Amino acid sequence: MTAPTLAIRDLTLGFRGWAGQVDVLHGISLHIMKGERVALVGESGSGKSVTARIVLGLLQQLKTARIGGLVAFEGQDLSTLSARQRHALRGTRMSMIFQDPTSSLNPVYRIGSQFHEVLKRAEPGISAADARRKAQAALADVAIPDPARALDSYSFQLSGGMNQRVMIAMALANEPSLLIADEPGTALDVTVQAQTLSLMRALVEKHHTSVLFISHNLGVVREFADRVYVIYKGRIVEHGRSADLFADPRHPYTRALLSAVPRITGGGIPEIDDVSESYFAPMVVHEGCGEPGEVG
Amino acid sequence: MKRTLFILLRNPLSALGLFLVALVVLSAVFADFIAPFPTHAGAVVDFANFNKPPEWPYVFGTDLVGRDLFSRILYAYRISLLLGVVVLVVAVPIGVTIGLVAGYLGGWTEYVLMRITDVFLSIPPLVLAMSMMGLLQPTLTNGMLAVTAMWWPWYTRLVYNLARSEKEEGYVLAAEVIGASKAHVIFREILPNCVPSIVTKMTLDLGFVILIASSLSFLGLGVQPPTPDLGSMVADGAKYLPDSWWLTVFPGLAILVAVFGFNLVGDALRDVLGTGQ
Repeated sequence: MTAPTLAIRDLTLGFRGWAGQVDVLHGISLHIMKGERVALVGESGSGKSVTARIVLGLLQQLKTARIGGLVAFEGQDLSTLSARQRHALRGTRMSMIFQDPTSSLNPVYRIGSQFHEVLKRAEPGISAADARRKAQAALADVAIPDPARALDSYSFQLSGGMNQRVMIAMALANEPSLLIADEPGTALDVTVQAQTLSLMRALVEKHHTSVLFISHNLGVVREFADRVYVIYKGRIVEHGRSADLFADPRHPYTRALLSAVPRITGGGIPEIDDVSESYFAPMVVHEGCGEPGEVG
Repeated sequence: MKRTLFILLRNPLSALGLFLVALVVLSAVFADFIAPFPTHAGAVVDFANFNKPPEWPYVFGTDLVGRDLFSRILYAYRISLLLGVVVLVVAVPIGVTIGLVAGYLGGWTEYVLMRITDVFLSIPPLVLAMSMMGLLQPTLTNGMLAVTAMWWPWYTRLVYNLARSEKEEGYVLAAEVIGASKAHVIFREILPNCVPSIVTKMTLDLGFVILIASSLSFLGLGVQPPTPDLGSMVADGAKYLPDSWWLTVFPGLAILVAVFGFNLVGDALRDVLGTGQ
């Protein structure tokens, strides 16, 4: 069996400040196999985004961050790599897309030249003409109607949905093996979000890209992910295949999270405790979903 | 660029500013052709025509040794503009770089750089420039040096604050994630987004640099005679007010025109580029 694209084991994170250490992650474990789409779901402040930043090696540079546990990317322990080696992985082997696509593009450069920068990461000597050809093909892949015109535009001249597709195209341009999507399209309206997500899904399937999908939008997760981890206050509380988990949520926190989804049939949002003793109940793992090396 | 110019010309105040700036710049550049007495920029003495009120061919009158004031003002503009441009060309890159680095890197780097900046800012600017000129020889180069030393911290402050807000923008994180180096993020991502504010401040400052340089020469610490300088011309004439009013009024008006012109253009640029602070 090949190594998973991403394996996280007992990851802990704390920030040391003037008033002592604040613990953010209390030993989370997760893994993503090649070509798998895995969602990390939780409320704001549960530790979703910091997990993504550790995987990208961005938090390791922070002097106040205390990181423990193992993060292995394609079988390689990230903590054994130098900052330079971690840096070499970013933008080539792993990439990321963000909540707000429009602010993720620098307003002073045309899309084309930003695309060129991205392609240069994988192929430093790439010529402008080659980069343009590749960028056009990549934009055509994300169903942008007139790629040449889009490349000559600035981000503020394109719609939010177009920018999101440009971001997806850029993130996948260097054929990374892992794509981290941090609440993609939360800033977009729902129909555009659905379109871009199905587009992204088709593309990652085509390229066999693994995806770590970070979201608090359960409807989107249900559509998009193969497996789901539910995170609460820095702990994974439930782990299962999307279908199983949504059909049969077993952990009290997952149930609370699912019942908090507003329903169009009315009835309002039910009263849910913000914090309940039961949310700290032990982790629930659904059948056949153990971490590799533990359950198999 | 074309659009900017169009908007500038549509507003009467900014059009006036542009006109004044063009007037000052053109008269400085073409001083050799416009000035009726080009030699009067140097050490020339013509006691036959000394201290004359404005009359043809001396449209602004003559000074105490008989030199044409109009010609001298044209050449003085040349020195003032040169000084202003050199000061900004040296001070702005220093100030901007320090501000960007401090704002983006944060931590100890920020602490050290910004405290050094604060020390410079805490000394009244004219006092700093005066003490530097007192220590050094009062030459044009040292004058530029003194004004530069008091000028860069203002750009550090401006850009530091801009960089602090820009680094929270999504595109900075996006660049970091694709593996951009710190230098790339600072100079290729953040800096271009600060340029409108920097350009606006530079335009406004060109007038102030001319004013400060004139103040220094007024105090006898700037450019030395016989080189024409607006500040020292005002200072020399002040002793003979109000009888020989043209000795001070015309150089004073010349300073006013330059500073007013650059301020109007700077204000207009701020509106056009949307860099209101």
